[in-house]
Amino acid sequence: MRVSLFVTCLADQLWPAAAVGAVRVLRRMGCDVQFDERQTCCGQPAFNTGYRPEACALARRLIEIFESSGSDAIVSPSGSCTAMLHHYEQLFEDAGWRARARGLAERTHELSSFLVNRLGVEDVGARFAGRLTWHDACHGLRDLKIKDEPRRLLRHVRGAELVELPPPGAETCCGFGGTFSVKYPEISVAILDEKVDAIDRAGVDAVVSGDASCLMQIGGRLSRRGSAVRALHLAEVLAATT
Amino acid sequence: MSFDRDARTALADGQLRGALRHATTLFGERRRAAIAEVPDWEDARDRARAIKDETLLHLDRYLEQFVANAEGAGARVHWARDAAQACDIIAGIAERRGARTVVKSKSMASEEIRLNAALAARGIAAVETDLGEYIVQLAGEEPSHIVVPAIHKTKGQIAALFAAKLGMEPSDDVTRLAAAARQALRRRFAEADLGVSGVNFAVAETGTILILENEGNARLTTSLPRTHVALMGIEKVIPRFADLEVFLRLLPRSGTGQALTAYQSLLTGTKRQPVDEGPEELHIVLLDNGRSRMLASPVTRQTLACIRCGACLNACPVYRQIGGHAYGSVYPGPIGAVLTPQLLGMGESAELPYASSLCGACRDVCPVKIDIPAVLLHLRAQTVARRASIGTRALLERLAFSAYATVMARPRLFEWVMGCARRLHIVPPLGAWTKWRDLRPLAPRSFREEWRAGLRETEGS
Amino acid sequence: MRDSDAARRDILRAIRENLKPRGIAPRSAEPVQSTADPGPAARGSPPGLRPGSVGPVERASPDAVARFKAQLAAVGAQCTLACGEPDAARALARILTDAGARRVVGSDAPMVQRLLSTLGHDFVRESLDRLSRDDLFACDAGVTTAQWGIAETGTLVLESARERSRLLSLVPPIHVAVLSTRCICESLGDALDRVRQAASHAITFITGPSRTSDIELTLVVGVHGPQTVHVLLLEDV
Repeated sequence: MRVSLFVTCLADQLWPAAAVGAVRVLRRMGCDVQFDERQTCCGQPAFNTGYRPEACALARRLIEIFESSGSDAIVSPSGSCTAMLHHYEQLFEDAGWRARARGLAERTHELSSFLVNRLGVEDVGARFAGRLTWHDACHGLRDLKIKDEPRRLLRHVRGAELVELPPPGAETCCGFGGTFSVKYPEISVAILDEKVDAIDRAGVDAVVSGDASCLMQIGGRLSRRGSAVRALHLAEVLAATT
Repeated sequence: MSFDRDARTALADGQLRGALRHATTLFGERRRAAIAEVPDWEDARDRARAIKDETLLHLDRYLEQFVANAEGAGARVHWARDAAQACDIIAGIAERRGARTVVKSKSMASEEIRLNAALAARGIAAVETDLGEYIVQLAGEEPSHIVVPAIHKTKGQIAALFAAKLGMEPSDDVTRLAAAARQALRRRFAEADLGVSGVNFAVAETGTILILENEGNARLTTSLPRTHVALMGIEKVIPRFADLEVFLRLLPRSGTGQALTAYQSLLTGTKRQPVDEGPEELHIVLLDNGRSRMLASPVTRQTLACIRCGACLNACPVYRQIGGHAYGSVYPGPIGAVLTPQLLGMGESAELPYASSLCGACRDVCPVKIDIPAVLLHLRAQTVARRASIGTRALLERLAFSAYATVMARPRLFEWVMGCARRLHIVPPLGAWTKWRDLRPLAPRSFREEWRAGLRETEGS
Repeated sequence: MRDSDAARRDILRAIRENLKPRGIAPRSAEPVQSTADPGPAARGSPPGLRPGSVGPVERASPDAVARFKAQLAAVGAQCTLACGEPDAARALARILTDAGARRVVGSDAPMVQRLLSTLGHDFVRESLDRLSRDDLFACDAGVTTAQWGIAETGTLVLESARERSRLLSLVPPIHVAVLSTRCICESLGDALDRVRQAASHAITFITGPSRTSDIELTLVVGVHGPQTVHVLLLEDV
């Protein structure tokens, strides 16, 4: 299967381990992974802040790039960016672009969803010792309905013990919300602290999520609060073999 | 309105935050338990939303049908373009009916139009009778939650308030506090000339208005005084009497976790015979106040589907931290963030659509499936397009996104800019981030550098 | 009035203007029958029902009666079963005595009048017609019938066209409602089908005593409405 990686600007620059891990896992599962270096950003920050023309321009660009990839699927280590691609259709009035956006969305998958639902695998041969808890990133959870898939994958990781935060803990927002985290940082951190409190109480070694943005938010606060709990991307855990 | 400042004030109030955490958690649990009892919950949500969509698409016809049937049953219907006209109508009715004392049951619309102040300006005193509203009225405050208006107050604060205003012996006993309010208000009910209520649903087919409550104050407000004034937003109309069922199935469970509230009053016109119990006159005031504008686009139109259950408040991570007052209007939380700007105009409330992390929890719990994040995004796009935000921050933001658009269209430039930022350890935006959160040590190489450095070649795992 | 007429015109015009499709396929001008409403048949009521055309059920299933009683308890209402009027009269006296009620006022329903006439001198029977408002507020208990009971929720349904029960079920702190088991229907939807909506200017659904959680979310029973709701459930002999 030919897979084109939709790396996301955030993972590319600020959390490359997520993307590197994704590539390794996909190859382990027998995929031929391509990366088109022309890609930059999906436009989500612009779209979420109300800058639709700017988002639209980036959407057109990304659609063209991935159309030319000739791959069977586009896979991304980010639920929110994948969800953004799935929303591209709404950005356009022109029927032609809407159809192209729809076509792209149909081929674009978040990593855990791709592994479990497209490739039908739950055991990716990973080994990672430690107690882990999962954070459901909002867009992946609510837009893409990703809930089960990461948990199934994590349960097959040898040496890892998956601990759920007491409901509704895993599903509560981390408070990032893109520009929200810097427009209203006090509120963002207030929301975040409840999350981090729950993670602290869970007594885990790491919190794992499918979105680097959440991990930066949660990890940044864990670190500031002097916690030893690490923030890891799902792909990092799945790629680990020692 | 200063959302930013008011939010910070709220965040600094430990007691408030504790109360909010307790209330929203409890309501969330009760809601989940209540909807678990309804096997076709999702189907009910779809049906209710379909009814609302149908109604809004033909709102003029359903309103006219409602008015015809309500008037046929003896009600007098008044139309109000805006808050001022609605207040004028109601004050006029009160004056014509010689009303000196007015009792009010819970009506968010009446707070939206600032009715009490308008009545007071014409020498008419209106007393709130819903316990939570009574408390905030005595305290001179605004309600902070759609369902529990005084959620921000401890029983100690209420005890002190009642001691000061009612001469009550200070007591922390909630039962005694409620009893004191009951006693104080009973006289008002007995003496009231005019009762003002809200309307939860207005049935076009029959001209019936339905009012839900738990305390009994709405029943007293609408049955004892000689005159009853019912104020409703124009979006409250639904087509058929039988449609009430699905909304009664959804609203109480979503709002308080009850299968049904203690009372539903279905009122159709006035008494059929003089000997009947009830007011002599029923006046229904239909309020637009910006609602008709929202019909213009499908995205904004869904705002009008709201049945004011309050579920979105209880699910919202932002509301949970800051409570209702920070939203600066009678409608707080997620629905407030989209409704207030559309009612008041963006200039006044331009911050509100941005006061959200877009998590979507509200959309999950909304009984009529309003896609609040979609409306927020729409309002944000409008703000930018109309340059509705003014000031240095807004200007800097525009510049930032211009730069962003330029950089992101050019991969080499993108890489160069990000490379500089990484080497200089500057990642925008800074201070607001690093005041509370560490920025993790940046990996020595970006993904694309790794790719070029060898990851590109197929390797073993 | 003229201002209101002008506002009516303006508002309706604003609605129509805002609803006008903008370059999208035109919609039908007629309000469509909502596909959302499956109709009374699909809701489980017998076919051919029109609202308000239904009388008491032939015989409420024992299951419905049991569910009604269970729901009454769940919502904090009391329930006493009686078989026939003489039994009901005795039960009423007991209920009122146990509740500490002395001043009792009954509705105009013939059944209520008959039951009250059997009460002894321990009670002061007030007549609704001759009761001043202040006296109404001083009564201990109001006795009415209920036109329907809803098994699903433990709800009483009172129709103003059938009985003057609006204030008696509201003002006195104790409300006793006499309900025939034949009048227990299954669900909210059934009740909405059965009430004579056009005839009644006020239809009231009562589910348990009045309550509030407005102070620190602590439940208090008995606020502005009755604190005690006691259903006297009447089975025909």
